[in-house]
Amino acid sequence: MILTEQQIKALPYLDPPKTVRIKFRKAGRLKHISHLDLQRSMARIIARAGLPVWYTKGFNPHPKLVFGVPLPVGVESECELLDLRLDRDIPNEAVRDMLNAKLTDELCALEVREAGAKFVEISAADYSITIKTAGACNELAAEIQQMLTSSPLVIIKKSKSGEKEADIIPMINNVSAKYCADEDVVRLSVRLSCGQTENLNASAVVSALRERLGILSGDPTVEYCNIRRERFYGADGKQFV
Amino acid sequence: MTNDKKDIRRMSGVLGSVQKPGRYSGGEYGEVLKDKSLVKARFAFCFPDSYEIGMSNLGMRLLYGALNSDPDIWCERVFAPWVDMEEQMRAHDIPLCALESGDPLSEFDIIGFTLQYEMCYTNVLNMLQLAKLPIRAVERGEDCPIIIGGGPCTYNPEPVADFFDCFSIGEGETMLNEFTELYIKMKAEGRYSRAEFLHEAARTISGIYVPSLFEVSYNDDGTVKAYTPKYDDIPPRVVKRIMTDMDTAFFPQRVVMPYIETVHDRIMLEVCRGCIRGCRFCQAGMVYRPVREKSPEVLDRQARELYEQTGYEEMSLSSLSISDYTKLPELTDRLLSWTDEKMVSLSLPSLRVDSFSKQLMERVASVRSSSLTFAPEAGTQRLRDVINKNVTLDDLLNAVGVAFEGGKTSVKLYFMQGLPTETESDLDGIADMAREVIEAYYRSPGRVKGRQPSVTVSVSNFIPKPFTPFQWEAADTPEQLEAKQKYLRGRITDRKIHYQYHNVGTSHIEAVLARGDRRLSRVLEAALDAGFKYDAWDEFFNYEGWMELFRKTGIDPAFYANRTFGRDEVLPWDVIDCGVTKSFLLRERDRAYAEKTTPNCREKCSGCGANKLGGKGICCPQTCGEDAQ
Repeated sequence: MILTEQQIKALPYLDPPKTVRIKFRKAGRLKHISHLDLQRSMARIIARAGLPVWYTKGFNPHPKLVFGVPLPVGVESECELLDLRLDRDIPNEAVRDMLNAKLTDELCALEVREAGAKFVEISAADYSITIKTAGACNELAAEIQQMLTSSPLVIIKKSKSGEKEADIIPMINNVSAKYCADEDVVRLSVRLSCGQTENLNASAVVSALRERLGILSGDPTVEYCNIRRERFYGADGKQFV
Repeated sequence: MTNDKKDIRRMSGVLGSVQKPGRYSGGEYGEVLKDKSLVKARFAFCFPDSYEIGMSNLGMRLLYGALNSDPDIWCERVFAPWVDMEEQMRAHDIPLCALESGDPLSEFDIIGFTLQYEMCYTNVLNMLQLAKLPIRAVERGEDCPIIIGGGPCTYNPEPVADFFDCFSIGEGETMLNEFTELYIKMKAEGRYSRAEFLHEAARTISGIYVPSLFEVSYNDDGTVKAYTPKYDDIPPRVVKRIMTDMDTAFFPQRVVMPYIETVHDRIMLEVCRGCIRGCRFCQAGMVYRPVREKSPEVLDRQARELYEQTGYEEMSLSSLSISDYTKLPELTDRLLSWTDEKMVSLSLPSLRVDSFSKQLMERVASVRSSSLTFAPEAGTQRLRDVINKNVTLDDLLNAVGVAFEGGKTSVKLYFMQGLPTETESDLDGIADMAREVIEAYYRSPGRVKGRQPSVTVSVSNFIPKPFTPFQWEAADTPEQLEAKQKYLRGRITDRKIHYQYHNVGTSHIEAVLARGDRRLSRVLEAALDAGFKYDAWDEFFNYEGWMELFRKTGIDPAFYANRTFGRDEVLPWDVIDCGVTKSFLLRERDRAYAEKTTPNCREKCSGCGANKLGGKGICCPQTCGEDAQ
């Protein structure tokens, strides 16, 4: 459903504006775009989509955009979240379709709904990790399974306050590692702590595996590790949307 | 469900190890993807500088759109990899690839390089090397892509002539399509060979220059003796192509939208081509003649389309001298009728001091304030008359007065040093003008109280460029330029005046390449072997290294940069006809030495000769012949 400028102007004006939550994909080649660049681009995406965006009332009016948990550069996602304020009562499907008319498959809106719980309630996320490495086999998958389920697995975590050692096993759940013979890759899925209170990057888990198992140390044009964020969970263990 | 969207290009694996991987990822909204098995020719459009600079280029946006408008042609983008990426590419044996398909350049039919600036020549060669293609045209076999150059530097392409198969001279919107269509046709008819194709292109497509079809001979003193065409069915001089009607000229419906920040990250609305002014140092002002304007109705429609495709929050009206656009008030009125509501701000890149008014400033500043820059170019009226910059100190003081009344506190002034006939008093004049601007601030009753003014004086080095009245002049030597910089620095004592200057070494090499001939290919090849690249970037430019290469290759840079060329000398770029005639340029040069100005094209036709190229939207009030004065 694509609405024209005239059709949008005929919709009821909302004061205060409504907030919609957009679930979007960031994948393929666009996984290389940083969160900061995405934030900057999003205002233009919304402008070219022609959405009835609500502007802040200050000296320098701008759309109010609130992103969920920033996605590290190089990671794909099927579940990124963005809250956006609109000042016309436009149907959610129209928001999705109008965005997608000005986006590509590698970055596109998957679902639009009314914004619910705040992003601070996000506490975990599922990741699918595909590892293409020399030595991929059933035994390697079993080793990975074992390593990610038996404490401790200590890594150096870098933060603003400096480096410190941390056992990451408490932040890793629902581990499943399988060797997939027809593609010669190990498929790993994990649920990691995610959000403001506790956060573990999937790439840190992969680094830990690389150091201990010596995987992914060959030619970077042949071997690869693809990480995809699949869905978020709230503190209550239910899926966060 | 989404495994198919994984980035599986070979170079993807190294993107974790480089800065700004978004430079190499592709995938932007607006990129053109085609099925390579269904297209008849693949064109790689190469910009020999970083992604951020290349993606800001209006010409690339136009030509990418024009080529892709043909379903038989797939045009893709290629930029110079930054040095960190190049390191990865060389370490892992990754060839230079196009952004859209990720395919190596060697798989393309035609590779086009846009030559925007002489200092990017080493990047061109480096990109060819990274593409694993032979550098010299004669070494490329039948299975290699055809390599064509275009852009402003092709008004004297001779220093890079040995590396290219051909050049497109002038505006490329239809020329490159014709060129590629000819390629497709000859391939289909089975009569394609490199030599046959290039000969046919030179013979049948106006604006195509094939350097290998011209024999160059030299005099004993090192100057050019003659250009001799090898066939008598090709034009002995290649006439520049222009779009005659800008309202109907190709306009891209789509724009590739970068995700990473680029240099000119905004809508660029091309308002007109050419310039009526005739500043004697300015190559753009001569080679883009005649002036051709777009109508406000067409521009307004195109601006809306661009906004709908991009969502940009800023729109720049692009032109060599925007205030000379005859329908500027009508255009800005039309644009402002919708841009304000959509929070789009207008900006004007080039303001002339004699046409800057309160009304104009208010239109531009209606959404967001923009900085103000003026270009008096020279410090005294005498020297401004020499260069035909028809503005006065009063014009400048009026303009900055308006700016200060309107709440501005800082102004940037562009000047040049090293201009013909320049003396110390002209340099004093630069410092004096800056001081006058400071004083004008304090005289201005409406100025922002309690704030200090700031004047930035940016002084570049004059470089004689082909097809200008100053094309015969000697550039100052680096030592002279440095001494002048030191002198001027000493003359600027006010801390409210900020003095910026340019690298004299870069200017020297630029001057050599700008007026160079084919013999310079030896130096450029040596520069590639020495690993030179990104010479336009001060952090990579190696002046001593360049001087060493000149010594090694036995080439005297002063012969090209610091010599006054003879009036009757055959110039390396005489093989090109850009419309403006040599007799006009000589007349203008004589008038410069007589300190006489020439009226602009709307006041009086000076008979430059560009009229013969045609062009709707008459450049001067009456149609005149070559010698009308």
